[in-house]
Amino acid sequence: MSDLKVVIVGCGKIADGHVEQVQKLSSIARVVAVCDRERLMAEQLALRFDIASHYDDFDVALERERPDIVHVTTPPASHLPLVERAVAAGAHVYVEKPITPALADTEALLDCVTSAGKKFCVGWTYFFDPPALAMRDLIAAGEIGAPVHVESHYGYNLAGPYGTAIMGDASHWVHRLPGGLYQNNVDHLLNKLVEFFPHDDDPRVGVLGARRRRHRYGDARDDMLDEIQLSLSGADVSASGLFSSHARPVAHLCRVHGTKNTVTVDYNSRTVVLEGARALPSALGRLVPAFDRAARMAREGWRNVERFARSDFHFFAGLYNLIDRFYASVRDDGPPPIAARDIRWVARRLQDIIDQVEPTP
Amino acid sequence: MTILVTGSNGFIGAAVVARLLARGRRDVRALVRAGSDRWRLDALRERHPHTPFDVFEGSLARSSDAARALEGVDRVYHLAASLRGSPADMCLNTVVTSKHLLDAVIRRADPPRVVLISSFGVYGVGALPKNSMVDENTPIETEPARRDVYSATKLRQEQLFWEAHRAGQRGEHAPFELVVLRPGAVYGPGTGAFSGRVGIQLPGIFLFLGGDNRLPLTYVDNCAEATVLAGESEGQDGRVFNVVDDDLPTCRDYLDRFRREVRPVRALPVPYPLLWVGSHAVAWYHRYSGGQLPAIFTPYKTESIWKSQRFSNARLKALGWRPLVTTEEGLQRTFAHHRERDAA
Repeated sequence: MSDLKVVIVGCGKIADGHVEQVQKLSSIARVVAVCDRERLMAEQLALRFDIASHYDDFDVALERERPDIVHVTTPPASHLPLVERAVAAGAHVYVEKPITPALADTEALLDCVTSAGKKFCVGWTYFFDPPALAMRDLIAAGEIGAPVHVESHYGYNLAGPYGTAIMGDASHWVHRLPGGLYQNNVDHLLNKLVEFFPHDDDPRVGVLGARRRRHRYGDARDDMLDEIQLSLSGADVSASGLFSSHARPVAHLCRVHGTKNTVTVDYNSRTVVLEGARALPSALGRLVPAFDRAARMAREGWRNVERFARSDFHFFAGLYNLIDRFYASVRDDGPPPIAARDIRWVARRLQDIIDQVEPTP
Repeated sequence: MTILVTGSNGFIGAAVVARLLARGRRDVRALVRAGSDRWRLDALRERHPHTPFDVFEGSLARSSDAARALEGVDRVYHLAASLRGSPADMCLNTVVTSKHLLDAVIRRADPPRVVLISSFGVYGVGALPKNSMVDENTPIETEPARRDVYSATKLRQEQLFWEAHRAGQRGEHAPFELVVLRPGAVYGPGTGAFSGRVGIQLPGIFLFLGGDNRLPLTYVDNCAEATVLAGESEGQDGRVFNVVDDDLPTCRDYLDRFRREVRPVRALPVPYPLLWVGSHAVAWYHRYSGGQLPAIFTPYKTESIWKSQRFSNARLKALGWRPLVTTEEGLQRTFAHHRERDAA
């Protein structure tokens, strides 16, 4: 298969990123159509990216375009029915996170895809972000030893482009998720942890949720939790997580403490810095590390300059890498870039969080 | 007569409500979204304690709200639009919301008159010679995807209204009267310091791009007066009115006065030929790098926004419109507001 036909369903903000990245893979794939139940939304996306066709009926799009791959970038409540229709039409599917509002639907969706023999990918954009790849190289080289504890911090800006859309509309789909704002984002926090826990390890999970805004609207927007503190305790590894809408700067960090060293991955500044154990005694041992880290940070900065000069420093680099790997798995009939068991692990942890912080109806 | 104003707490919307009240209209319905900050309408209420108006909560993002807002309405001033955000959000909040409003309009057996606030941005001026006169006969943009998102969105919004208007005239649904106003750069206390036509603020420096181009200003109260007048005048169905004031300053005049009367501005003047060459370079790099940096300048945008043009308000004046506030007075009020804000 040299020319994968791609259809994107759901033409909101994130669809732009998908179209841009697929269009960079023009030697192997092309977006043949976009679809949104609001035709004007499909039209604007098709117009801006010079896409041949746009539809407001997904079944018609599937029937006419016969896509190899469908990207589902609609609100999560529609993911399962859309995936079922895409798979029935013979397509492999890429689905934006969160996969579905409820764990049972995620299980049903994965079963639907695997029983049809189709490939599936979830939109964990940062899973293959350049710093995540660099971190894995360090770990594979034995630089940190055995992982002991992982910290994952994902910040959110309620005044940013996504945040203002959510806060400006009480009927926004995010407010209809069982976990609201954090459910729409906590995948990015949890998927940093999954690779450090064995798949049969169901860690004990402790969660605190908080709402640190003043009530203002008198509707669902006031009820939304804006902070989640998370702790996981597994057999060999523990983890902590913070989703915060108020801490500044808006952070996106992962810190892996190992038996030898600790690595800090900053997804915003795209730096990966190793912190070694003290090599010198007494006062000298306290003097050197700051310079050591400064030198490592300077090297990371220079590496980023080189990437920029090579035009290899894009915002959606992780999304590009993920789509590229997914398409390769479709083309070569290889394993998908994100294993179904990892997706299930994250979905179960998300359900753990919801069960603990949301009031029982 | 019940009058609906959408975007009523916006910069122009609140001024339109004020002008309607000043003209003695009593049945004004100001549409606002639930939870939105209504400080402009609150201030209006304080200024007109004996002239009540109805604040109606709803969102044009929902068809049902649009239909509710239109119940019993005889005239709609449609100002709700998105000024910034992602292209998808701007389409959602300007075009899709307009579609919901239009659907509600044309479902009525006796549709209201619609007054739409569009924009100068809908004109396809990029291909026109330098110093061309921009009036209501200037061709509409034919390549919106190459323009800024705001202009493309306003163009699509306006097209929706014209398509529905023509369909009504063809008898596909009840016909409705449509009047479209296309303001230039609306200014006054509460707007930003500089229109994009003057230049762009970068961290630490202001790129002064407008040079000696005429700046198509319209003071917010003048724009509101034009809007209300066009909406109240009979026999204007299907007409378009440009809205610009008299005695327009050049971009250089504006910047110089701002520096004298408000605060110093570190500005880097970029002559048009240099901007044009630079736009080619930016567009080339954007393509070369696969979009690593955004194409904030392209030759097409530069020709559309920063090439010198002239502007006509003759049609509006023929309707009887006169600026309520002179440009001199408007600039004084605006700069005084900026001084106060800086001091605070």
